[in-house]
Amino acid sequence: MAEATATTDPVIAAVDRLQTLHNAITTKAAIAQTPKELVWTLNKAKLYRYVPVLPKEKRHPIPLLLVFALMNRPYILDLRRGHSFVEYMLNKGYDLYLLDWGVPGPEDKNLKFDDYTLDYMPRAIRKLKAISGVEEFSLLGWCIGAILTTIYAALRGDEGLRNLILLTAPLDFSNKQGLTFARWTDERYFDVDKVLATFGNMPGEMIDYGAKALKPVENYIGNYVKLWDNIDDPRMVEGWHAMNTWVTDNVPLAGGVFRQLIVDLYRKDKLMRGELMIRGERVDMSRIHANLLTVIAEGDHITPSCQSEPIMSKVSSVDKELFRVRGGHIGIMAGSGASKYTWPHIDGWLASRSR
Amino acid sequence: MAEGPTHDGKRLDPMEPWRAARDLYMDAWGKTMVDMVNSEAYAQATGAMLDSYMTVSAPFREAVEKAMLKTLEQMAMPSRADVLSIAERLTNIEMRLDDLDATLGDIQRLLVKVGTAPRPQAGKAQPSKKKTTRPQRAKRGKK
Repeated sequence: MAEATATTDPVIAAVDRLQTLHNAITTKAAIAQTPKELVWTLNKAKLYRYVPVLPKEKRHPIPLLLVFALMNRPYILDLRRGHSFVEYMLNKGYDLYLLDWGVPGPEDKNLKFDDYTLDYMPRAIRKLKAISGVEEFSLLGWCIGAILTTIYAALRGDEGLRNLILLTAPLDFSNKQGLTFARWTDERYFDVDKVLATFGNMPGEMIDYGAKALKPVENYIGNYVKLWDNIDDPRMVEGWHAMNTWVTDNVPLAGGVFRQLIVDLYRKDKLMRGELMIRGERVDMSRIHANLLTVIAEGDHITPSCQSEPIMSKVSSVDKELFRVRGGHIGIMAGSGASKYTWPHIDGWLASRSR
Repeated sequence: MAEGPTHDGKRLDPMEPWRAARDLYMDAWGKTMVDMVNSEAYAQATGAMLDSYMTVSAPFREAVEKAMLKTLEQMAMPSRADVLSIAERLTNIEMRLDDLDATLGDIQRLLVKVGTAPRPQAGKAQPSKKKTTRPQRAKRGKK
């Protein structure tokens, strides 16, 4: 990418800045650079194992599986070299796996939480166990990935789940006034069946619009103003470029899951009320016994803290911790402060529980 | 963008007051917009817009779908629904294969485990891990 060079000619400097701005907005940054191998696939889902950087005797024996949201790319966890959660955890000695859900096609429009948690996740975890050669594992779920891991933990948690980490987990939907998405998708205004009959899957562009419209000025204008203000700082531009690459890489959400998310969760709050049924099984969070770390972003406008806190009193885990960190929904894991606060805390918590 | 140095060594930026005013204005604007998108009126308006788009586009979409279906039928080609159905079936087959793969893996691990277990005949050398594979056991069975 062309960077603004120190020059005395204001015209050349201005042209350089415009070139940098244009490149940052219109090109894709080199992201997800940490070496990994594909170890399992099912439909669009892929399980990757990151190539360990420490010898086996220095690694934690309990592998960690990362599960990100369904409607965004998981490489936010491995955004760029020198600023990657994956890289950080590999250096700390974790045997790291990533479940990439892929991009659902029209043929996947009927996929539901049921399929992801009872068909895909158990099979991916079975593969993980076969490769790592251990029966126990840790799970990290972020955003919708945290819903999936919570459902899995409640239904199949007795199959070796030792540690559960939930990042900005939208689990409690009872506070309708505090949830903008709940207002937008209220049944008086939003006909979910008509939307899915029209589109099949929920288009990524619409989800992206929904996320950005929560803070329209910040996302549609302030973001670019921030880039322009820092256009002479190559490190800042590099970070912005990587983040913009991720933000603009949208994935549709399978229609079946979208319907469950809106009807069963946003409207009826079935998960927290213990009424969510997954293939005839009730999702009872008191069946979660794994060690639990819940991470809350204090400035999260997508998943306010009121959605993540209540799980602490619902689970049967003896060892549980609620960790609050300053930052937004994505910023706590991918922002400039992530490597100082969130990552070390996750490592500190998990390391002592991965022996 | 920075120009001449000030007394404390920092460069004086003539645009700084303008930027401060701009940020102040954007903050205020941002808060107003957040309040607006959080309102019932906004939810109602966006819902109505989406609904009218879907209502207006539905007849065109259906007409295109019907025409496409007829064309594909006349050309003796599979419809979109046929292809989607095959894709779903392929995923089911993939799942069965995955289960088979896992079962085979389990059997293989069990066989290796059994093969490396101490043998009852004393005095005989223990076979190495590599040699105790299924083909060798089959050979002994044939004798």
